[in-house]
Amino acid sequence: MDRRISTDTILAPGLPRRGARSIDGLWRLIRCAHLAHYVILSLGALLMVGPFLWMLGTSFKTATETVSVPPTLWPAHPTLANYTDVFNELNFAQLYWNTARVAIVKTALMVYTGALVGYIFAKFQFRGRTILFYAILSTMIIPFEVYMIPLYVMMVQAKLANSYLALVLPSIFSAYAIFLFRQFMFGIPGDLIDAARADGAGEFYIFHRIILPLSKPALATMTTFYFMWEWNDFLWPLIVISDSDKYLLSVGLATLVGEHTSDYGVIMAGSTVAIIPVVLLFVVLQRQIIRGITLTGFK
Amino acid sequence: MLGSAAPARRRGRGTSLRRAEMRFVIAGLVPAFLFYAILRFYPLGYAFYMSLHDWQLFNPLRPFVGLQNYAAILSDPLFRRVLANTLYFAVGTSVILTVLPLLLSLVLNPIGRGSTLFQLLYFLPAVTSTIAISTIWLWIYQPSFGILNQLLGLLNLPQSPWLNAPDSAMPAIILMSVWGGVGFNLIIFLAGVRGIPTMYYEAAAIDGASGIQQFRHITVPLLSPVITFVLVTGMIGGFNVFQQVYLMTQGGPLDATRVLALYIYQTAFQDMAMGRAASMSFILFAIVIVFTVVQLRLRRIDWEF
Repeated sequence: MDRRISTDTILAPGLPRRGARSIDGLWRLIRCAHLAHYVILSLGALLMVGPFLWMLGTSFKTATETVSVPPTLWPAHPTLANYTDVFNELNFAQLYWNTARVAIVKTALMVYTGALVGYIFAKFQFRGRTILFYAILSTMIIPFEVYMIPLYVMMVQAKLANSYLALVLPSIFSAYAIFLFRQFMFGIPGDLIDAARADGAGEFYIFHRIILPLSKPALATMTTFYFMWEWNDFLWPLIVISDSDKYLLSVGLATLVGEHTSDYGVIMAGSTVAIIPVVLLFVVLQRQIIRGITLTGFK
Repeated sequence: MLGSAAPARRRGRGTSLRRAEMRFVIAGLVPAFLFYAILRFYPLGYAFYMSLHDWQLFNPLRPFVGLQNYAAILSDPLFRRVLANTLYFAVGTSVILTVLPLLLSLVLNPIGRGSTLFQLLYFLPAVTSTIAISTIWLWIYQPSFGILNQLLGLLNLPQSPWLNAPDSAMPAIILMSVWGGVGFNLIIFLAGVRGIPTMYYEAAAIDGASGIQQFRHITVPLLSPVITFVLVTGMIGGFNVFQQVYLMTQGGPLDATRVLALYIYQTAFQDMAMGRAASMSFILFAIVIVFTVVQLRLRRIDWEF
């Protein structure tokens, strides 16, 4: 900020009067319009978007064009061969369907149970409430690496290894969702619940018909976040799913990289296909997502 | 008649309500209790039990070895190397991912038109899976045909083997992780910066404070809760780094990028030495606990201002 002020004062005195006035005006315009800010931010934005464009460009290139020197930024002879490879030979459609199913089920479970348990912790008085809540909250600091080893052994013992049940079971509840919904539910007036009770409404009726509709903003934010996280989940599916027909997208993509080490056209087509749903979701729901981060402040 | 009926009705309803509430609480909390007992606390205890045994996945003989697994890993030079690598990554990413987004938020804050568009573009990598991002950067870093070395060549700048050499592999992974994380922290800092009342800056400007002085004496102190939050959660996240390294280097070249989570994964699921891997995971847990305690302490201090 101060730098632009000093350039202004340095430039102005040495110049003829009329010129000085117009250059002065120009500088004022630049400062008001924050031109320097736009230049910095645009350069940064180019760095942020560049890799995605490089991915997209490569995905339409032929194998010979991907290794051409100097590189072409955009394919000279665009081809869809990489995409047909990804879908026909590597069965990406199956991976898509697998990932969508698992992500939707896990998201629905964690958001619903999060709302229910968060509501109970926020709006009911019972013995052991605080200690139970903090016991659940404390599990958030356990790194996944600690319990993934025994969890895997447990899944093998229960003959659940290589099944989607093994993916879903450890994510029925989420301490983080419970925590955030509890915060949100504190804001719902208790009088409203009491009034519904006075009218003879049952507790589950109140939760489903009054509390959940009132929680729409929180539900929307949490659903979006959990869906994106689950869509991108990697380590646990990598460990527990060994059958390539049952792979999720991230694991399938990692395997693709391992098998087609030099075929970057195919690999970039795979990446493009893998990220499209989440990017579309983000573009549609960007405002809610950004507001959600600001409100929750967590990853 | 009316007078006698109303209290009875109220009392009757009151007791049944309380029982209905109790039933609802129990119905909601029992599944949660079972879940946390069976799928969080039991595995935690089980992991500790495994760490005290020579526990191989396919060997039914699992003798008790006491703290030998811990002694073995702590005297293992490779494990020390792994800890150093993890620290390198955690400190590198968390410091850069605090300073860079903070500065960017100051650049982004005053502009009106297009602010949301910039936030969107910077945030794009954060919604993309780390595996997909790592795949893209594997191709960017490719030594002979990757765009980075080709661009450096065009500009007559020295090229680098990036992920293929021990010295440049970790910086390359850090650079990619910074690219992936900058948008998220930018949004957090932007919310913080927008929360600072403008009258502080106006008063400082009247007193003749320069931009840098305002930054040092207004922005940084007022944002210190956000700064510590971002820094410490960044450290914790950095200690858990896995996907980038798994996809891009598998810990190579010459162990230069072998980090803790990757080493635990490889020891448990490639060498099948589950007891040993479990003891490593508790070292990771201890580190995370230390940083979490630091964060809670710092947060308490900040609240006193």
